[in-house]
Amino acid sequence: MSEFEKLKIVTRYELLKQIRRKRFYGVLTITVLAVVLTIGLYQGLDLPRRIGISENVINQQGAEVFAIFVTSMGALAILGAVFFAGDAIASEFEHKTGYILFPNPVKRNTIVIGKYLACFIATATILIIAYLISAGALLVFYRQVPIGILGSLAIALVLACFVISMAFVFSSVLKGGMGATIATLLTYMVLFSVISSSLAYAGYNPWFMPDRAGDAMTATYGVALGQVFGGMGGGGHTPGGMLQASQNPTLSFFVLLVYAVVFFGISIWMTKRREMI
Amino acid sequence: MNYSIVTENLCKYYNGFLALDNLSLKVKKNEDVALLGPNGAGKTTTLKILCGLIRPSSGAAYINGINVVEERERALSEIGAIIETPEFYSFFTPAEILSYVGKLRGMHERELKRRAKEVINVVRLDDWINIKIEKFSRGMKQRLALAQALLHDPPILILDEPSLGLDPRGMMEIREVLKEERKKKTVFFASHLLTEVAQICKKVAIIDHGKLRAYDDISRLRKKYRSFERAYLKLTEGAI
Repeated sequence: MSEFEKLKIVTRYELLKQIRRKRFYGVLTITVLAVVLTIGLYQGLDLPRRIGISENVINQQGAEVFAIFVTSMGALAILGAVFFAGDAIASEFEHKTGYILFPNPVKRNTIVIGKYLACFIATATILIIAYLISAGALLVFYRQVPIGILGSLAIALVLACFVISMAFVFSSVLKGGMGATIATLLTYMVLFSVISSSLAYAGYNPWFMPDRAGDAMTATYGVALGQVFGGMGGGGHTPGGMLQASQNPTLSFFVLLVYAVVFFGISIWMTKRREMI
Repeated sequence: MNYSIVTENLCKYYNGFLALDNLSLKVKKNEDVALLGPNGAGKTTTLKILCGLIRPSSGAAYINGINVVEERERALSEIGAIIETPEFYSFFTPAEILSYVGKLRGMHERELKRRAKEVINVVRLDDWINIKIEKFSRGMKQRLALAQALLHDPPILILDEPSLGLDPRGMMEIREVLKEERKKKTVFFASHLLTEVAQICKKVAIIDHGKLRAYDDISRLRKKYRSFERAYLKLTEGAI
């Protein structure tokens, strides 16, 4: 049997594992609720005017502004990816399930790739559901779906790839799945943000930082971020002009892809070297 | 090729601690050999190397003449194994676990279904085949571990304390299964239960502090040391 056949088997059963777990449905529920609530609040409370977006922008790019708000909630699914991937490798060692899986005639690379694909499919499913709800709402309220939504989804998917890769690195090194999950969250949400903010304050454009993908996801709609968020916080200006440095979506896509490939390569290498002691 | 399992000068260090010290032994085809020794003697380490779970620091291990380090996947296709106390994915059923590992071992759907039914019957888990493993006791998991080891009818069984966690009835049943399997397979298993070893195997490799102390027929050891127990105690005198 070819390794590709084995990869299909590993992916199928790893996906079944993901779907059987409560966390999959937890992330799905939270993401869908967040999107639906955002749609309701945006429309019900007339958020764009209340946060000070100019009438000109609302009239000309209302659908795009709405899409920015609702699809950013869909990106919550990416945080779910951390929970799917954090214990994917570590748990085989921590819970000793590896004693059943590893003594099979299948390469460790194949197992890691299969696990990765399963995590990605689980995350992508939730993301796509969230984006479909957003697209449905756009059709209902604006009778159009901005083309930028596809770019936003593409960046969200590649961001999911990156986050899963990073979680896999921690999962292949650390003893426990919980540690790997927390380490991934801290690195992505705290460490990268601190580095990016520091660079931005110092006057550098941190285009190479993976956490800039959030800006890139909104930039796909072609709305200047300053026009949308400039009014937030009582109409004050954001410090250091940080928000004015809009991220190039194409650049972000490839930056994230490179990070994803490099981190994934590291995780495969580490898992191959790891012994089932 | 007359040997199912060969280890040549196998050494394994864990952060400077020598767990295996030049272990060399050969297990002939269709032979049943027990790896006997006190806790920490290096039994599980030896089996883990044979199953490709850890790498030897030096030396080599072969399964049916295939180097386990160099051609891991090919070597593993020849064995069925239970290492330590394995755990299963708790949200899977035995049927799903057997389907997963059976497919990874290249079994076809129809053959897999037939064998899964057979091995589940052998370990007496028929009524539990579609129940999630999260409801299983330790003994039931051990039975399932034996079922997955037997699933693809491998020529070699490598078992690490296969009756661990079983009640007396379960222990007897597992011993009967192994007695049956040894007629057509090479059975290499680790244990520290002298009675179990004497019941299942004819030959024993006694190791202590990672070193091979004796590798002989149990009957010959009995003759030489007047009893199997005395042989074991004498040969593992330095053990903690």
